[in-house]
Amino acid sequence: MDPTGLDELLQHPSLWRASSAQGEGKVLPTGFRRLDERLPGGGWPLDTLIELLLPLHGIGEINLLLPALRTLCAQDAQSPRWIAWLGPPHLPYAPALASAGLDPARMLVVRSNAARPPGSSLWAMEQALRSRACVAALGWVDGADGQSLRRLKLAAEEGGSLGFLFRPKERAREPSPAALRLLLEAHDGALDVHILKNRGGLPARVKGVLEGMAGG
Amino acid sequence: MSSLTPDLFDPTPVPAGQPARLSLVPEASCLPARQGRGELWLCLWLPQLPLDALATGEDAPDAPACVIEGEGSAQRVIAANGAAVRHGIRAGLGLNAALALCPGVRLHMRQPAAEAALLERLARWTTQFTPVVSLEPPRALLAEVRGSLGLFGGAAGLRRRALESLHRRGLYAFAALAPTPRAALWLARAGLDTPVQAPGELPGLAARLPLSCLGWPQATLARFATLGIRNVADLTRLPRDGFARRFGPSLLAELDEAFGRRPQPRRRAVMPERFDDSLELPVETGSIPLVEIALERLLGRLEAFLRTRSAGILGLAVALLHRGQPATRLRLGLARPGGEAGHLQALLHERLGRTLLPAPVVALRLRSTVAVPLELRSGVLPGTAGYDADPEAAARLLEHLRARLGREAVFSVRLAQEHRPERAWQVSEPALGKTGAGPFAEAVAVPVGPARPLWMIAEPQALRERDGLPRHGGRSLTLLSGPERIETGWWDGQDVCRDYYVAAAADGVRLWIYRERRRSGGWWLHGVFG
Repeated sequence: MDPTGLDELLQHPSLWRASSAQGEGKVLPTGFRRLDERLPGGGWPLDTLIELLLPLHGIGEINLLLPALRTLCAQDAQSPRWIAWLGPPHLPYAPALASAGLDPARMLVVRSNAARPPGSSLWAMEQALRSRACVAALGWVDGADGQSLRRLKLAAEEGGSLGFLFRPKERAREPSPAALRLLLEAHDGALDVHILKNRGGLPARVKGVLEGMAGG
Repeated sequence: MSSLTPDLFDPTPVPAGQPARLSLVPEASCLPARQGRGELWLCLWLPQLPLDALATGEDAPDAPACVIEGEGSAQRVIAANGAAVRHGIRAGLGLNAALALCPGVRLHMRQPAAEAALLERLARWTTQFTPVVSLEPPRALLAEVRGSLGLFGGAAGLRRRALESLHRRGLYAFAALAPTPRAALWLARAGLDTPVQAPGELPGLAARLPLSCLGWPQATLARFATLGIRNVADLTRLPRDGFARRFGPSLLAELDEAFGRRPQPRRRAVMPERFDDSLELPVETGSIPLVEIALERLLGRLEAFLRTRSAGILGLAVALLHRGQPATRLRLGLARPGGEAGHLQALLHERLGRTLLPAPVVALRLRSTVAVPLELRSGVLPGTAGYDADPEAAARLLEHLRARLGREAVFSVRLAQEHRPERAWQVSEPALGKTGAGPFAEAVAVPVGPARPLWMIAEPQALRERDGLPRHGGRSLTLLSGPERIETGWWDGQDVCRDYYVAAAADGVRLWIYRERRRSGGWWLHGVFG
């Protein structure tokens, strides 16, 4: 067959190719313009796993997600789904969630005081992502191998939900199948975001995404 | 046998020129002349039910086996499988004769309870074709199927489907269709295939029915033989009251019922409200995976039980029976009525994983709560709005997480009307389905005012102090805003008097701390900003 003819055929607009479907994924604006500029499509990629690497808890990682979580809650007000918090370091405080614009009743918290077997947060996150009952799942996990992370990503794709995985900064050097990997750092009261892995975009460093954090 | 004495009391006029044939079968004009309507009964007759009820997996299908009952020298064979029949063993044969014909035949004692249980299960299975099912113990089932013919491809299609389905389960049955239950039973026992749709066809088939299909006592059948009666057609040519006098009115009534002259009301099989079934394990075992395999079978029966009634259950109790020890019991509760075998299996798998067996398991028993009708929802076409919330999915996720992590580990939160920060929120049951009109469906107002941290530390941590400033992680904290005085709660004895501040640590974390103003004083960490 004529090679140029084949190329033309492949460019035909009516022809759908599975590999091209990945590029036009849905995105959700992060709410922070400087971060949106650096992400392909202008926001968080949906139906996949996003990894956030932190030096320690409480530097503003949840504040970074708040606008997106608010949008997700508003989108399916007709048939509401949960936002799952799996193995958080402390208890989510309902009055603060309410002030931030999130309905506390839409939060599903999975946290036990007793010593849990390792891997139960990963398992719970996979169940939550796959179940179609959650619109987003936030998970706190320390060590996870590539196989487990791939399973989480697959679960998010199948269940139509967005997974945010929080891991310690030390894991930045390990390879990960997450669609987006961000390293967060606090600098002089502002939050810097290093984009380590960006599917469809370039790694970058965005300074001062969250500023002036006094009084939140 | 063709010329008979006319019965003086029969009022039917005999047309001239015709031999007087006063028969026990009424003429077709006496019956309602509705072709294709009226009842149609399906009879399923299982000749090897005693053998199938034992369901021992150890016998190879080619090995001859039979079931015996009785005691001592009066033991007789009541059922034999195909291989044994080929050796010449028949029902009714004495035990010694059977052993003489086939020395290697496997013998099993009859278990009437198991037979009755199997017949009950089959009755439930038959309800997939029609709701009107009746038991005809010991080995047959009757079902009225006229209304279902259209759904299953006509009489022949229904019959074929039933037999194929039974065959797949390893059960050997004969099926026959006739306008009356008794005729259907006789046809099934005789092994006649053709469905009989109209009552008028029955007399024609009577000639092919041997006397053995009637199920009448041997003595009576012997007397028929001395009279030269070989089949049911001959039987119907006997005079009525002479028959009644010699053999009893009940047998005459049975003939009338079979040919549709007399109604034969049947008692409908009553379906139990709850599922209660047991399974004996083929070998005693202490291994959980083997127990789960047996549990899978019981759950399959539960699912079939629920599906025939479009019902769901709210709870399940599983008892693992041990020899000589009290049983291990597990209870499972469901958030919404359901009964999918796969889902229940997964939940029980989690529960069994945390159970320690004190002794090997001998048998399993599964009991359910009362079955409640399910609201059936139509499914979603693939590709169309596949991500709509599904209350079933929410309930399943909740059950699954709780089964593994414990009930208290999975919760939601809500606001409470309180100034004391640790009481301004409560654990709540995760809501399923729609949560109400607006985002804040509760009456508690959204707190406006000073910021609150996203994370609350369950037990406030004491902080060290140096030069009047609190320290955390080895460094002094910088106070950013405050103080916010919270002094309240005198009415229930848990009064607090605290000054809250937002403090920044050197590593960029913002903390919510307070200074206790009573008694001891001191700085405490209560929350982390997010």
